[in-house]
Amino acid sequence: MSEGVRPARPKKSIVPYFVAAAVLAFTVFAARQVGFSLSQIANNFDTARDFIGRFFPPDWGWAKENVPGPMIETIQIAILASIIGCTFALPVAFWASKLTANNRWVYYIDKWFLNVIRTIPDIFWAMLFVTGVGLGAFAGVLALIMFSFSIMGKLLSETIDSADPGPLEAARSTGAGHTQAVQAAVLPQVLPNYVAYALYIFELDIRASTVLGLVGAGGIGRVLEAQRSFFRFDRVMAVVVVIFVIVFLIEQVSVFVRRRLV
Amino acid sequence: MSEIFHDTGAPAGRPEAPRSTRWIRWTVLVILVVPALWAASGLGISMQRILEAPADMWKIIRAMYPPDFSYNQVFERTLPKVMESLYIAWIGTMVGAFFSFILSFGAAKNLSPRWLTFVIRNLFNAIRAFPELLLAFIFLPIFGLGAWTGTLAIGLHSIGTLGKLSSEVIEGIDPGPLEAIHSAGGRWPSVMRFGVLPQVLPTIVAYWLYRFEINLRVSAFLGVIGAGGVGAELVSQLRFRNFQAAGTVLLVTIVVVLIIDTVSSMIRRRIIAGKAGEEGPTELFEEPAAVGVL
Repeated sequence: MSEGVRPARPKKSIVPYFVAAAVLAFTVFAARQVGFSLSQIANNFDTARDFIGRFFPPDWGWAKENVPGPMIETIQIAILASIIGCTFALPVAFWASKLTANNRWVYYIDKWFLNVIRTIPDIFWAMLFVTGVGLGAFAGVLALIMFSFSIMGKLLSETIDSADPGPLEAARSTGAGHTQAVQAAVLPQVLPNYVAYALYIFELDIRASTVLGLVGAGGIGRVLEAQRSFFRFDRVMAVVVVIFVIVFLIEQVSVFVRRRLV
Repeated sequence: MSEIFHDTGAPAGRPEAPRSTRWIRWTVLVILVVPALWAASGLGISMQRILEAPADMWKIIRAMYPPDFSYNQVFERTLPKVMESLYIAWIGTMVGAFFSFILSFGAAKNLSPRWLTFVIRNLFNAIRAFPELLLAFIFLPIFGLGAWTGTLAIGLHSIGTLGKLSSEVIEGIDPGPLEAIHSAGGRWPSVMRFGVLPQVLPTIVAYWLYRFEINLRVSAFLGVIGAGGVGAELVSQLRFRNFQAAGTVLLVTIVVVLIIDTVSSMIRRRIIAGKAGEEGPTELFEEPAAVGVL
């Protein structure tokens, strides 16, 4: 009947304009608060040009001697933290999914717990642990354990949510207990995702552990902080380049493996 | 009857267990345990320290309780800093959104030539390899202490992450409308405006909001090195071992971040899924696609 007739225009509403105006106003206000001004940017560019010269050339001779040790420490922190964090997160993720939680209370408490832990950034954890257990790599490991744990908990529990409930029902109908049923019917479904997430979290941990040293939690960041306080920006640059290359390489390998897994 | 039964070809009895499980289990164990031991010994972490850690942490948590809820601490010291983090995150996200949006068209394989997508994609990858804190650390001597440095660091990093996501969204569009507009005589700007934008904008805006949530957490800790925000307050309170005040900072940060998270994810859901009861795609990005951005 309505063939050939132009479809009616969607009704115009005034609400989107209000929203847009509010967002714009907030943006302008926030921009002022953070010191956004075009003249200052122009000024900054002049400073930047003078300053960038001090970053070059990177001091490779020094880097060869002093970077490998802390860099290995950084990688060790990331390895240990991601293994421990992801291991602890496995049962917790199952409790944080409606499909596999023992009961409603476990689900709500666990979900809430993971949310709160995730709210605290990794660097805050590092600072807390530095205060608690002292300066050094151990504080960094603990901080990244919390970080890995919370992210794995969230990602894996969401994957479990979307798992096929059929096998679980089948396992229950054979008389399997709760843990048995979950282990036999849900775990195999999410295992490839779990491994992929673990690799992804390892990548995140590598990236995070490079900067933990800035708050005294071990790794290559400590070297960065020291060299900056001596104003040796050529050495800072060398460290930054090394970090970039290592992070990039590890990420490429991890992405390759993850792609094959999922 | 029995013949028919046998003809199904199904093996009688229990299916055989896959042979390689045991072998895989051992390999996995070795892959995990050897690096863990190597790392633990390299870092000099002894069993004793691990056992003492919970007690040490408990001491800190005890010292933070009860948090200092005096007017001065909450409203004059902590909240303004948290708000500064909020502004940094917002402007950083805006900067990232603006530039990534423009660049992502060049990075989408279905809209741009091969060489351009290659260049822009690798630009995104390179940017993403630097953590925000490291970027802020490099910017600090150039732009000085303060919020602007943090904003730039977050903005630059967001270009990388948002650009990657946006270009993937653009690559996933339906080519039909583009062709239709083209065949009706529409030129490149019309194809982009009426063919591409309506398809990608909801998802991309949702990603911007998602990035804003992440950036809020990031801007909270950028203050640790003096790039503006609430991190500076936490550092100074912990340094002076003023644990109750540090507890306040943590608590206020957690509450504000949780509120923003909740509001933002509600808006995201509304953008992607449409009004309640309205038909439309309901899937949010809880898929591995979102994993790339956290």
